[in-house]
Amino acid sequence: MSNTAEAIDGSALVGRAGGPARPARRPRPTQPLIGIILPAIIIALWQVAASLAWIDRVFLPAPLTVVTAFWKMLTKQNLALDFLASVKIVGQAFLYGSIAAVGLGIAAGLSRKVEQFFGPTFDTIRHIPGIAWLPLIVLWLGIGAPAKVLVIAKSVFFPVFLNTLQGIRNVEKNYIELASVLTLTRWQLVRKVVLPAAVPSIMVSLRYAAGLAWALVVVAEGLSGLEGLGFLIFRAQGLLLTDQLVVCMVIIGLVGFAIDRSMYLLQRRVLRWKQGYDG
Amino acid sequence: MATPGHLEVRNVSKTYAVAGRPPVRVLSRVSLDVQPGAFVSLVGPSGCGKSTLLRLIIGLDREHGGDILIGGQPIEGPALSRGIVFQDHRLLPWLTLEDNIALALENARWAAADKAAAVRDHIALVGLAGFEKAYPHQLSGGMAQRAAIARGIVGRPEILLLDEPLGALDALTRVRLQAELQRIWRLERITMILVTHDVDEAIYLSDQVVVLAGSPGRVATEIEIGLPRPRDRASVEFVALKQRILAAMGEDAAQRPAA
Repeated sequence: MSNTAEAIDGSALVGRAGGPARPARRPRPTQPLIGIILPAIIIALWQVAASLAWIDRVFLPAPLTVVTAFWKMLTKQNLALDFLASVKIVGQAFLYGSIAAVGLGIAAGLSRKVEQFFGPTFDTIRHIPGIAWLPLIVLWLGIGAPAKVLVIAKSVFFPVFLNTLQGIRNVEKNYIELASVLTLTRWQLVRKVVLPAAVPSIMVSLRYAAGLAWALVVVAEGLSGLEGLGFLIFRAQGLLLTDQLVVCMVIIGLVGFAIDRSMYLLQRRVLRWKQGYDG
Repeated sequence: MATPGHLEVRNVSKTYAVAGRPPVRVLSRVSLDVQPGAFVSLVGPSGCGKSTLLRLIIGLDREHGGDILIGGQPIEGPALSRGIVFQDHRLLPWLTLEDNIALALENARWAAADKAAAVRDHIALVGLAGFEKAYPHQLSGGMAQRAAIARGIVGRPEILLLDEPLGALDALTRVRLQAELQRIWRLERITMILVTHDVDEAIYLSDQVVVLAGSPGRVATEIEIGLPRPRDRASVEFVALKQRILAAMGEDAAQRPAA
C-alpha cells in the first residue's frame, strides 16, 4: 500500500468516526456589539440622572463633565504620570511575585521536602492580607513604590504558588507510567510531562493574580504615597472633586478589563493544545 | 541457547498486598514461551491477570515470583526494546502527533536525522501522513490509537505489548485496525503480545491464543491458530476455534451465536 493510499485511508477513517478533524483554531462566532448594549444603557441612565438632577451635581457629575475633567487632568495635570506610576508598580509586582511563585511552586511540587520546609510559614503569611502588611513595610521602606511592589507581589505570589503546586501534583498517573515505559529520565519527565501538565493551572492563577494586582495598587496607593491612580482617587474624594474621582474609576475599570483580556488571549495562545478550551 | 527477542515466562506468580486483608494472588505459576516474530494473544475473563502479566513483561512492576527472560536475560525495568500500546491512547495532549511519537525516541541513541525519518515513516505506516502537526484532541479515537501504535513501534522494539488497544473503539474501527495491526506486524516483524477480551480479534490476528483462567490467573490452555491469513471470520474453522476458546474460558459456547 502506498503512503498516499494510507493517507486517504486515514482521512476516510476520520470522516466516518465523528466528523473530519477540526482545524486547529475554530473561528469563534463573536458578537462584540451585544457587549456594548449594557454600558450604553448605564451611560444613558447616568446622563438622565445628571440632567434631571436626581442626585446632587456635587456627588454625581454628568458624563460630559467627566470627559472634560479627564482632558484637563491629562493636559494640565499629571494624570499620565500617575497612571504610569500605578502601571509600573503593578507590572513589577506581578513580575516578581509570579516568577517567584512559579519557581517555588515547581520546586515544592516536585519535592515534598521543599513543600514541608515552606508549608507552615507560607500558610501563616498567606492569611495576613497584603494590606495588613503595608503599614509595617511602609515604616521600613517608606511611602514610595518599593513598599507597594512588595505588598502586591506578596498578594500575587500565593494564588500562583498554590496553583503551580497543585498543577504539578495533579499530573495524571497514566502519564507518569508512560514516561517510565519510554525510559524518560527524571528531568525529561519534568520537562516533557509534569510542567506542561501544570501549565493550565498556572495560567488560570496568573490571570487571576494580574487582576488582583491591579485592584490592590489602588488600595495601596490610597493608603500611602503621593502619586498613582489610587492616590488621585482618594485625594479627589477629600477635595470633593467627584468628576476627577469618576475619571479615575473609569480608567481603573478599563485598564482592569484590558489586563484580563490580554491574559485571556495569552492563555488561549499557550493552551491551544487543549480541547475545547475557551477560557 | 538464548535467542535474541525470545520471551520466556517461567512459573510467574504475583500477589498484591492489600492493607488489612489477606494478600490477593493474581497470577499463579504462569508459563509462556513466545518465539521472536510471533503474534500471541492472551484472552480470559476479567480479573484473570492478563494486564498484570503485561505490566510485568514491560517492566513497570518488578516484584513477582518466577522468571521473565528476554533473550535469556531477566527484565530489569522498562527498556526501549519493549514497546506498549495501552487501551487509552495515552498521547500527551500538549504535544503534536509527531512530537508524541518522537518522545519514544528521546533516549534512543540514534542520529537526529534517523529519528526524524523514523517518526515520519511510522506516521505514514499507520496511515496518518498529513496529521503530523495535529494535537491529540483533533484526532478521532481510531486515529489516536494508530498514533499510539506508531509510538509503540517507532523505536523498533523486539516486542510490542498491546493491552486491549482496540477495546475502546467502535466495532467498525476496530475491525479496520485489526487488519492494520496485522499488516504492520508482517511488515515490521515485531513480536506482538496482545491482551484482549475479544476472542474474534485474538483468532484473527494470532499464531497462538493463550487462554487464561482466573482467579488466581493461570494458563488454562494454549491453542495454535494454523489458519492461513487473511482469515475469514465466518469460516467453519474460525467458528470452531472460537467455540473451543470460549469453552476453555468457561463460557457456555453453545448459547453464543456462531458469528
